[in-house]
Amino acid sequence: MNENLIDLKDLNMSEEELFSHVDHSSLESEKITAPRYSYWRSVFRVFFRKRINIVILSLFAVILAFTYIYPLLVDYDPFANLMNSSAKHLLPGVAMERLGKNIHWILGAGASGQSTFDAVWFGSRISVTMAFICAAINLIVGVVIGAVWGFSKKVDIIMTEVYNIIGNVPYILFISVLVLIFSAGFWTMVFALTITGWLGIAYFIRTQVVIIRDREYNLASRCLGTPIMRIAMKNILPFMTSVIVTLAATEIPSYISYEVFLSYIGMGMSDMSLGRLIYQAENAMLTPGWQFEFWSPVAVASIITIVLYVVGQNLGDASDPRTHM
Amino acid sequence: MTKYLIRRLVHGLVSVIIVVAIVMILIYSCLDRQLIFAQDPVFTQLGNNQKIVYQYRKWEDYGYIDYVPYPEWLQSIAAEENLSQEEVTALSAFAQKATGDSEEVAAYVARFTEYYESQGYTVTRLDAKMSKKKVAPGGQQQLYAYKDKPLLGRLWNYLTGLISVDNIHFVQEDIGERGLTFTLHDPLYGGKTFAPAIIGNGTLHKYLLYTDGKFPFIHQNLVTINLGKSYTVNSGVDVFQSMNAPQGSYVSSVITYPTGHTESSADDLHSATYAYGSREANLVNRDRFTDDYTNVVTVKGGLSQIGYSFVIGIIASALAYLLGVPLGIIMARKKDKLVDRIGTIYIVFILAVPSLAYIFLFKAIGYSLGLPTTFNMDSNDWRMYALPIVSLALPSVANLMKWLRRYMIDQMNSDYVKFARSGGLSEREIFTRHILKNAIIPLVHGIPGTVLGALIGAIITERVYVVPGAGNLLTKAINMYDNGVIVGVTLFYALLSVISIILGDVLMSMVDPRISFTSKAR
Repeated sequence: MNENLIDLKDLNMSEEELFSHVDHSSLESEKITAPRYSYWRSVFRVFFRKRINIVILSLFAVILAFTYIYPLLVDYDPFANLMNSSAKHLLPGVAMERLGKNIHWILGAGASGQSTFDAVWFGSRISVTMAFICAAINLIVGVVIGAVWGFSKKVDIIMTEVYNIIGNVPYILFISVLVLIFSAGFWTMVFALTITGWLGIAYFIRTQVVIIRDREYNLASRCLGTPIMRIAMKNILPFMTSVIVTLAATEIPSYISYEVFLSYIGMGMSDMSLGRLIYQAENAMLTPGWQFEFWSPVAVASIITIVLYVVGQNLGDASDPRTHM
Repeated sequence: MTKYLIRRLVHGLVSVIIVVAIVMILIYSCLDRQLIFAQDPVFTQLGNNQKIVYQYRKWEDYGYIDYVPYPEWLQSIAAEENLSQEEVTALSAFAQKATGDSEEVAAYVARFTEYYESQGYTVTRLDAKMSKKKVAPGGQQQLYAYKDKPLLGRLWNYLTGLISVDNIHFVQEDIGERGLTFTLHDPLYGGKTFAPAIIGNGTLHKYLLYTDGKFPFIHQNLVTINLGKSYTVNSGVDVFQSMNAPQGSYVSSVITYPTGHTESSADDLHSATYAYGSREANLVNRDRFTDDYTNVVTVKGGLSQIGYSFVIGIIASALAYLLGVPLGIIMARKKDKLVDRIGTIYIVFILAVPSLAYIFLFKAIGYSLGLPTTFNMDSNDWRMYALPIVSLALPSVANLMKWLRRYMIDQMNSDYVKFARSGGLSEREIFTRHILKNAIIPLVHGIPGTVLGALIGAIITERVYVVPGAGNLLTKAINMYDNGVIVGVTLFYALLSVISIILGDVLMSMVDPRISFTSKAR
């Protein structure tokens, strides 16, 4: 006999205390034990598994800090050196020598003696804010309308016509007419970029919804009497999270690009955004010694868009549950 | 198939018309009309009543309103009512105030008011502005009627005027015997060589059909397309013509005029149009022409706006397909290898970076390589085409690579690929013979769009390299409030996009027999 065994009688407990009868519970028997799964935790686990993502994310943080915190800390007056003719169009080395060794002059000085470095970050604050606001509005409106568009056959007929017609009106025309009707300010630009911008996103989402809508599991759900709203929220929306994140990744940089483009053709806003900086410094591109004031905003705009794009794409990849294995 | 395509085409045309209507609402109703005076030096100099009348006159020129001043109306009814020129002048002299009119003038003013008010016009009489018992500068009395052009009427007039056919009753004045003559020996070539032509008398153009040594060898002036008259961009010329007219410097050659006068000139006699009384009025014309068909276009050395855009665009797209398709195949075949990684970096660069930035980068690289960075119509240096073409081609290469790689990788796991592999086909055969054929179908859909899109031109590229193409027409027209051009260009763009989608579908169904547009499949 094994000595570890305990004689139950030594415990001095009654039969009821030692054993109790467990009833069959139909509710409990339905439970399936599996490791706890959190969707977003998995997304971030997959996202941070790639080293490169950490690097890019920290770059993203640095850019955001320069875009939003740096302008709060410094006092930037583009016309401070307007009368100082020796402070215009300077290369970084000369600028630091003449105007003092600090962070303002590491990219040289521009046409009116302003610090190129400061101008770029003040400009990027406007551009990035606009891109985020436009993307938020367009994505929300586009996804909601696209979902309805995909579900309802009646809406589909009308909206497809609207899409075909509006798609043929040149985008520049809409924007310039709006810019001319209102003033060329920040909110006009947001309005102009969002008034028809959601349509493309809605069409994209509509196509995705149409593809998923008639899959077997949704058919089954519908047969069981699930309301359409719940099918949309519980069956289809989770399926599209990665699509939406990927879409956001391409949308946000595209608004920065679009703003640059519009400023360049003379239809941008009056604020000193990145696009307007590039537009104003265009002549400096081929002038020896002036290149910094042109290439700095171009480079910063490119870095911002690339970082936003790559972060978004990788987040989109990570939010696809099939990569969570 | 044909029935389906016709239905699609009609559908497309309807949406094009709606687009034109939307654009008309946008530019004629939504825009602030005062804006056109912002940079007008004349407007700022004028004062008082003259300023107000000037506004209305300009608005009529820009196509916003119908505007009729009282003297103009008197002139128009003078012929019907047998009024002599003196009487018209006397009647035009309405007084500084309505109470000061003579009885006769008052009667005509009342008729004017009644006639135009019944047609929905607003009739306004501005009394003279006085300063120190004299009329103030620009303060003369004014009487006029004006009306906003209604949208539907405007749309109807525009659409019906789109295509005009030349006829022998075009000229209103007496021109002798009207008619068309067909000749096998064009008198412009001396009347001996074989050159068929149709010559009209009473038509707008003298030559309705003629041949010459330039592509496409047979030319016509019978049917003219009017997309909309320009006012500020290219004054008085139709958009379609200004897009298609040759540019650059004059090309002179020895020309024999109808009178036998020989001279070295750039005149293109085949383009002669009618101008009433022009022969009598001008000694130069009397030496050269035998009739009033004296209005000629000059021969120029360069291509038209569309011509430059199309040449650059079409070469760039050909280059893009030649590079993009093989690169896409290689990327798909070497998935996750070095080639694929480098390709992906390139694609991300092109997609994410603002197009302006990489075009400037190409320009800077080209500049350091010694390539010409600006376009010059009069030089024969073919290298000036290089940078615009490269700037257009490289982004489309990235786009083609991206989609071809995606589609091919999607196809790689299909059953037919596994079957082909188990059948012992080599990887190269599988990729080029089987996967490519399936993966390229969605790309084929875009080919007509690329070709027709080359006609539109590229905004940034043409601006950066100063190419005299058609891409900047719309932005230029918007900046100069040239409403006729905006409407015309929009119609042109919309038509091209509708046609290219339909052609894309047709091409796709030709490439892939599984796709069919018969009613059964729909």
